[in-house]
Amino acid sequence: MDSEIALAEPETRFALDAKKWAFRIGSVGIWVLPIIWIDVTTYLVLTVAGVTMGMLLFLTASGLTLIFGLMDVLNLAHGAFFAWGAYVGFSILNALNALGWVETGTLGQSAGSVLLALVVALAVGAMLGIALERIIIRQVYGDHLKQILITMGASLVMAEIIKIFWGPNDEVVLVPLAFQGSYDVMDVIVNKFRVVAIFIGGAVFLGIQLVLRKTKLGIIVRAGVENREIVQAMGYNINLIFTGVFAAGAALAAVGGTMWSIFKEQIHPAMGEENLIFALIVVIIGGLGSVTGSFLGAIMVGLAFNYVAFLLPKLALGVNILIMATILLIRPWGLMGRE
Amino acid sequence: MRAMPKQDSTPVQRERLLERMTRFTRPSFFIQIGLLLALIMGPLVLSSFRVMDVIAKIMVFTVVVASYDLILGYTGIISFAHGMFFGLGAYSLALVIHHSGSPQWYHPFLALGVALPLSIVLALVIAFFSLRVKAIFFAMMTLALAEFAHILGIQWYDLTLAEDGVSFKLPGILSVDWSAGRFLAADVNGRLMTYYLILIVSVALFVGLLRFVRSPVGRVLKSIRENEQRSTALGFKTFKYQVFSTVFGSATASVAGILFAMWLRYVNPESVLGISTMLYILLMVIIGGLGTMYGSIIGAAFIKITETWLPDLQKLAVALFPNVDMIHRLAERWVLYFGILFILVVFFFPRGFVGKARDMITRRKMSSVEND
Repeated sequence: MDSEIALAEPETRFALDAKKWAFRIGSVGIWVLPIIWIDVTTYLVLTVAGVTMGMLLFLTASGLTLIFGLMDVLNLAHGAFFAWGAYVGFSILNALNALGWVETGTLGQSAGSVLLALVVALAVGAMLGIALERIIIRQVYGDHLKQILITMGASLVMAEIIKIFWGPNDEVVLVPLAFQGSYDVMDVIVNKFRVVAIFIGGAVFLGIQLVLRKTKLGIIVRAGVENREIVQAMGYNINLIFTGVFAAGAALAAVGGTMWSIFKEQIHPAMGEENLIFALIVVIIGGLGSVTGSFLGAIMVGLAFNYVAFLLPKLALGVNILIMATILLIRPWGLMGRE
Repeated sequence: MRAMPKQDSTPVQRERLLERMTRFTRPSFFIQIGLLLALIMGPLVLSSFRVMDVIAKIMVFTVVVASYDLILGYTGIISFAHGMFFGLGAYSLALVIHHSGSPQWYHPFLALGVALPLSIVLALVIAFFSLRVKAIFFAMMTLALAEFAHILGIQWYDLTLAEDGVSFKLPGILSVDWSAGRFLAADVNGRLMTYYLILIVSVALFVGLLRFVRSPVGRVLKSIRENEQRSTALGFKTFKYQVFSTVFGSATASVAGILFAMWLRYVNPESVLGISTMLYILLMVIIGGLGTMYGSIIGAAFIKITETWLPDLQKLAVALFPNVDMIHRLAERWVLYFGILFILVVFFFPRGFVGKARDMITRRKMSSVEND
């Protein structure tokens, strides 16, 4: 008897392992699949574009997922922070262009102008976030319906204020001189700004992970995701942490907006809502409350969107809904979420 | 002498019986009759097209809002796909007529035959997919799905004519060409006939919804909203009821969409599928009050009336301050005020105007009982 069990065990373990590995290889391999229809050079270009888009989506989605995970608030005004970031960045770039920094000037001035635009967008996003959390969201903790309604209303108001300040029309965003044009790596054309976007997205991901895993603040936030009451009982001011996380999420969304506007080279007031849909899909795919999950989800969505937009342009958003539906069927709590 | 109901009946039966006996003597009965008469006589007496237009839109949106209230207020499901079902109905009529060349009398029925099964199947898919997951997931899923439908409407040019929209003619006596002289202050023409068709169908749908929430099924739905676990413990299969309510509400919204398309004779993605349509529906529900069918009339009327006469107010503001650019910009952005209203209503009238009124009436009754 004993020997039988002993014999059976490694085999089942191996079978499980094989299944797990098959799953892992399959889930990576599926992204190589489009190569059947697309030639290699175009595939690589699309992959770079997809990863870029994923990084930018991640900037918005990470805030959304953290806010939901910690505060249990579904923030539908998140797209509005994104749009505000884009418009603030646009204004900063225009102002710096008058100084001759953006469309002319040295590499340092180009980098400086992007950096300055990002920093100002970050600050504006954080301030808007603090204001929204203090004035509005704080009143409706614990009531999902009210949260959804009130953040929807807030997003409407914020989008309209954009139209008041900047006008309701599309605007063209200036791209700093040093980031115009593209690199040519063995026939694969890589837009210069995409490299910057991938770099910044990756840095933000690593930064969030570092803060969450290595600092005391991160421990408190992670503990708050697990159990709010106990963190409060341990003597930490949970309200302050809520405001902080909300502001950080809003600031990240604003940074994402600025990056997105330079990436797309144009902005319009409804861009927040459009991006919110993507961010929601990413957050659902990744699992509510998981930063790593939303990173993976964002990359998936970015890649799928670009491949499908090349092959069947009309189905580009549809494929993301399809991915979301498939993942919800297999894991209703998302890739990295908890049951 | 009013005969008291038998003592051995259940409380629900007793309440029902009492309600049935006082049915024709309550003030709400006279309000209903008066409202119905006003709706019938309105266009005959007032020869203003603008008024008729607003009333027709209010009627259509009352049905949409009431059906949404069934899902949100009575069942407690947060769905953002309701505008999508509305658009589905509107587009099915427009496309049936557009793609078949000339309008025929059976086309509205054909549109109904397309819209109803489609919306039922879609609602079933959404329900089975998402009702098993958390409420917040359901909200996000439906939001993404609605946006997908919107984008489909914009991009599928061969079917929907994209952002150009579809304008079409209605058949028979509903056609704008049809005319039959004058009656009272009104021209009897296709417009008027369409108005009465909308009146009949929307009143029927509204009464149907009222009956539905007062039926035993509606009672169970309310109990699920109040406490899902307890309803389950009482032996109700809550999932089945939630699916039923979602499907019923969505199908009703698609019929209302057909009516809306009939009235405008034009649809485009922004006007029926866009997220702003959904926002308006939400705002109407909130203003009227969740879980109050009659609130949908007030909500729809409030928004539609403001929407129609706000541009006048705007012109007034511009005329008063011709030189202040900021005032012009502020006046142009009337969605901003709807947004602020949205937040204020959620803060201060979380149960809407009808809910607030009901609270006040009950409080007065309670205090008068105490004084006795």
